Amino acid sequence: MYFEVHEPQNWLSKDAVKVWLIKETISNVTGFLVLGILLYLDYRFSWKDWIGWILIGLIPLTVIGAVWSWISPYFLYKSWRYDVDEEFLQLKSGVWNEKHQLVPMTKIQSVATIQGPLLRKYGLCKVAVETMGSSHVIPALSKEQAIKLREQIAQYAKIKEVES
Amino acid sequence: MRTKRFHPLLMVFEVWQLLKNTFFIFIFLFIMKANSHSLYIKYGRIIFIIFLGLALLYIVLKWITHTYALDDRSFHLYQGVLSKTERTIPFSKIQNVTRHTTFFHQLFQVTSIRFETGMNGEDAAVKFDVVSQTEAKQMEEHMARALRGGVTDSEIIEQMEEDPNSSRIIHFKPTKRDVFRASFTSFSFFVIIPILTSFYLKIDEIFHVNIEAEGIFYNIISSWWLLTIIIIVFIIISVAFGMAWTFFKYGKYEISSDQDRIYIAKGIIEETAFSIAKDRVQAVEIEQSFMKRCLGLAEVKLTSAGGHEIGEEKSEVNSLYPFLPKERAYEMIDEILPAYRITPQMQRLPKKSLWVRLLRPYWIWGIVTIVLYYFKPEVWGVERAWWLISAILLFINIALRWINFLNTQYVLHDGFIQLKTGSLTTSLFVTKRDKVIEIEITRNIFQKWLGLASIEMVNRSKPVKHSGIKDVPVEFADAFYQWYLGRKLDITIE
Repeated sequence: MYFEVHEPQNWLSKDAVKVWLIKETISNVTGFLVLGILLYLDYRFSWKDWIGWILIGLIPLTVIGAVWSWISPYFLYKSWRYDVDEEFLQLKSGVWNEKHQLVPMTKIQSVATIQGPLLRKYGLCKVAVETMGSSHVIPALSKEQAIKLREQIAQYAKIKEVES
Repeated sequence: MRTKRFHPLLMVFEVWQLLKNTFFIFIFLFIMKANSHSLYIKYGRIIFIIFLGLALLYIVLKWITHTYALDDRSFHLYQGVLSKTERTIPFSKIQNVTRHTTFFHQLFQVTSIRFETGMNGEDAAVKFDVVSQTEAKQMEEHMARALRGGVTDSEIIEQMEEDPNSSRIIHFKPTKRDVFRASFTSFSFFVIIPILTSFYLKIDEIFHVNIEAEGIFYNIISSWWLLTIIIIVFIIISVAFGMAWTFFKYGKYEISSDQDRIYIAKGIIEETAFSIAKDRVQAVEIEQSFMKRCLGLAEVKLTSAGGHEIGEEKSEVNSLYPFLPKERAYEMIDEILPAYRITPQMQRLPKKSLWVRLLRPYWIWGIVTIVLYYFKPEVWGVERAWWLISAILLFINIALRWINFLNTQYVLHDGFIQLKTGSLTTSLFVTKRDKVIEIEITRNIFQKWLGLASIEMVNRSKPVKHSGIKDVPVEFADAFYQWYLGRKLDITIE
């Protein structure tokens, strides 16, 4: 297939995996805490039966989710690719659900680099691209690379097509 | 360039709007609580009167300070009582024009007009809530002419006097037969039922006819000939009423076009007119409900990047006549949009995509079944009704997916893409490569095994329009990807 052979070539920063792992750990711990509190409240105030069943049903789901969320960053990193040329921004990602996106440069409205505390720790940035129809994020690039990409996209997106 | 004030009747219109919006507060404060001596009501009344006075003053000030002008390229709007703003909206950003003449407007021989841009937010449209009918027409024509080729200021006035209707071709006006068919398809005969019911309830409230009616009712059903006559009379009335209702709604319709614009005008009591430049049509959609398919009718909709709501409600002004005979619909697209070509030869989904589609989780059915299982309701005395309902629901779901599979068709030809989807109501979506603003191909694990993929594209509209097909062969998805990569063939760079 053409779109598989010519898939975009650029990788994310390797540190992306670490960032995602930390993030997943934080959200898993919060999730477990919330579930634990709910279970305790259910036991303490003897809520309706079905609430208890739902909560018990959630336990295995949360465990499976947690295990998967500690494995998935490696696969997600391996699956992520991006590319820019003067015509298109190309994005490819997804482990179970592989996604190929094609965004014309002329339709890009804005581009920004964003850095949260976790990303800053590893000297990373994400690049957010807004189009008329939606927004796309390249989740983790080294800071220099992100800024370079931002400038490049901004440069290409300056070109306007005759709106008709 | 001379600036102008808005039509003086705009003040009347705004006062009317103000009274309409504050009517209930007025009723509450001065009529329902007329005898109240509560402090809240007392202060409420004072605040209300002050507010009303300020609002009236603002309406007058607004009229004095807001002005507008048109030059050969854009609208200029000057506004602001204290802080002044000046807005310039180039004609080239206008996506479509809607004109709406309500009963109020007709009383004074005026109309309202909106020039819609593709932007979001309050200032997305240049709107004139009250404007004389000739001026509305002139502005619309002036804009169209300015877009076609440069006009200089001196030319503007001269050309405005020319008769512009000469070059317009009328494509469709419903005949009596069309209206007749429309009234059938839209089940207009049943319109009378809710009206009669609410009428009955209102009368009942006043006169308590309930008890008397019961006696009459038993008298009627006891004599069969009276019953037959009443039923026949009722049918005649409801048919007549339905026809009249359809006539008022769809009777006066006119689809016309000139060299570069399409015009849709409709309505008898409240007139609306919609116009769009041909090259601003983002996509064409042909919709057929089950009933319409049986009768060979179709509805054609033009997708525009500008909004097209009238007042608060979103109305279907972008629709060509909703009950067009199917062949006529295709012919008409050809006539009014020569840049669009629709081909009847389309590809169908392979068998394997049916299996993927049938095996997708049935979320709604699952949730409903769990709820049914929990409550186990009795229906008509049947105790185990819950699993029967669940089974029927599952069956309907499967049937709908099957029909959807059979209806789904797709094709790429030159710069066009055609996607047909839907189960009971089908819709054929046709757009051009340069109008598609981004695309996406997704494949889950099952689709990868079976060599399938899902495609999706986004078109400009308000809000943006996503359309796509699930489970097409991966070869088609690939062709779609490459087709979009060839986009530069269709666009011009500024």
